[in-house]
Amino acid sequence: MNDTIWARNPQGDLKMFIGGGLILGIVLFFGVMQTPIQARRPLVWLVTFLSGGFMVAYTYWPKPINFDAKTELPKNGVETVGSFLQQSFGVVSSFVQIIAAFLLGLGIFSLLRIHLMNIARQKKDWVFSVILLVSMLSMIIFGYWDFMIRQGEKAVDFDDPQFWRMPNMVRDFLFDGLLQQMDAAMFSIIAFFILSAAYRAFRARSVEATILLGTALLVILSLMGVVAGAWDDKVAALAGDGKTGSADFIMNFKITEVAGWLKNTFQTPAITGIKFGIGLGTISMALRIWLGLEKGGKA
Amino acid sequence: MPEKQLGAWSLDSQLLGANYWDVGWFGLLFTLMIIVFIVFNVKRAKKGDNLFIRRISGLNAIDEAVGRATEMGRPVLMVPGLSDPVNATAVQAINICAHVAKTAAKFSNPIIMCAYSASMFTLAQEVIRDTYQSEGYPERFDPDSVRFISDRQFAFAAGVSGIIHREQTAAAFFLGEFYAESLIFAETANSIGAIQVASSTEATQTPFFIAACDYVLIGDEFYAASAYLTRDPIMVGSLVGQDWSKMTAIAFIAIGCLNASVMQCNIAAQTEEIYETHKSNPKELADALEDAQKLQKNNFSIPRLIKADKPPKDLKIDREKAPEEPGKEAETK
Repeated sequence: MNDTIWARNPQGDLKMFIGGGLILGIVLFFGVMQTPIQARRPLVWLVTFLSGGFMVAYTYWPKPINFDAKTELPKNGVETVGSFLQQSFGVVSSFVQIIAAFLLGLGIFSLLRIHLMNIARQKKDWVFSVILLVSMLSMIIFGYWDFMIRQGEKAVDFDDPQFWRMPNMVRDFLFDGLLQQMDAAMFSIIAFFILSAAYRAFRARSVEATILLGTALLVILSLMGVVAGAWDDKVAALAGDGKTGSADFIMNFKITEVAGWLKNTFQTPAITGIKFGIGLGTISMALRIWLGLEKGGKA
Repeated sequence: MPEKQLGAWSLDSQLLGANYWDVGWFGLLFTLMIIVFIVFNVKRAKKGDNLFIRRISGLNAIDEAVGRATEMGRPVLMVPGLSDPVNATAVQAINICAHVAKTAAKFSNPIIMCAYSASMFTLAQEVIRDTYQSEGYPERFDPDSVRFISDRQFAFAAGVSGIIHREQTAAAFFLGEFYAESLIFAETANSIGAIQVASSTEATQTPFFIAACDYVLIGDEFYAASAYLTRDPIMVGSLVGQDWSKMTAIAFIAIGCLNASVMQCNIAAQTEEIYETHKSNPKELADALEDAQKLQKNNFSIPRLIKADKPPKDLKIDREKAPEEPGKEAETK
């Protein structure tokens, strides 16, 4: 077996590693707590640099071809490192989830503090705070209850509602019956907001706005089957059956052709350009964070 | 398949591991080039060279928006996007929000910052607290001004919209990663007459912000904000380095276009030749065209440099067998 420390079977010496890791973690935690605030920044940078360095190495280090770590040994040093990086990736990535899980507690604490305060002081619309807390509590209780039942009885097919018990039903009602539906309702509101935003954006107040209005109108019409069909038929009739140069030229004025040209020639390159700028900006920002050049909050 | 016949894959199999020539070097060199450009320009800026940044009206509007909120006696709303977990975009969004908070702290104006994820909430709270402290007004910081709302997209949208309506925010800053909820925020804030500055790193959401907001930072203007607002040499240098990289990439695009055009001309000539040779036999013609297409696909030099062929799945590399796991051996016995 050629697994790295990350992929080892949790038996034997791995228990020692876990125990050692826990002790080291506790020591580190108290060590950091005792460190003066000014000294914490280099420490944070070091952790950031190591984590970023791992990801850079994972991305750029040569990956061994068709390599099975369980049955094969790496061919050379490069493959050994590549194999180690590949096997470690999943575990190192899960560190983020572990940290996020800890932080979730802080998030819930913030919610509780704000809304309990609203209720205690009977601020305006405090009833909504009560509803929020009751909803959150119900979802946590029935979510876990449902989870425990499903875990405890793995042989039962819980996809079939006839096997459901009260907690499963309540969770289904809360999650699928309420939350998902309310999500969908919020999403559908966007349709109305698009209309009101479009109304404001498409007023011909300037030359640019008029061009925007014209192009938008063309694209919208090209997507309306009846209009596009009628327009394109008229253009085809005008071009006639002859395969002449002028007929080919006239066929360019089909509304679907014009809209396609607008999208491919103006819209796509513009969006690609924007995405490109964002990509470079993200690399530059990531680099500043990685190298410790970024001083958070000093903008 | 013997290793020697595999062309580029076998070139470096001894030293660097197979397949590295094809997929790795270009990306690695390009990234290194960006790093060199950025570090070089940071040094230039630190030396005191005057590096130019053009005017960005969205960033100039920050003081105006906060000032207006102060006059109206209403809070300033900030939403640093839907990044989860915290990434480079989120850090930049929080940086700009910190600048807004700095201005708000000076005017003693209340702020509300809505966080989508717990990690974002923690980071934002620390940064905003630090900002108030560094400005010398720690007592003005309200811990409840940074709020965790929900990590579900539309629950978050509903929560933020509710806050906008209830608190009647006078200014709203939507900066970071936004998706379908962008228009819900922008239109809700517009409906109460709030002045809005927005930016989304999702190119598909930028048009919505342009339609609904007063000021929009488009594309990489969002990342230029730190440099623009602080004129800090590191930030300005990194921005100029970023621009140099952009210029190089544009040059690559131009070379790529030329290369593709020349290749297309060759392909057209070749296809015509094949057609003339095999036009009497449709099957032969189809096969010849298919073969030519495959060959042409592999011969494109620029695409091959960036997106290379993957090695075949059945490619066997000779490696030593790993010893059996001790536990498993016993199990088998």
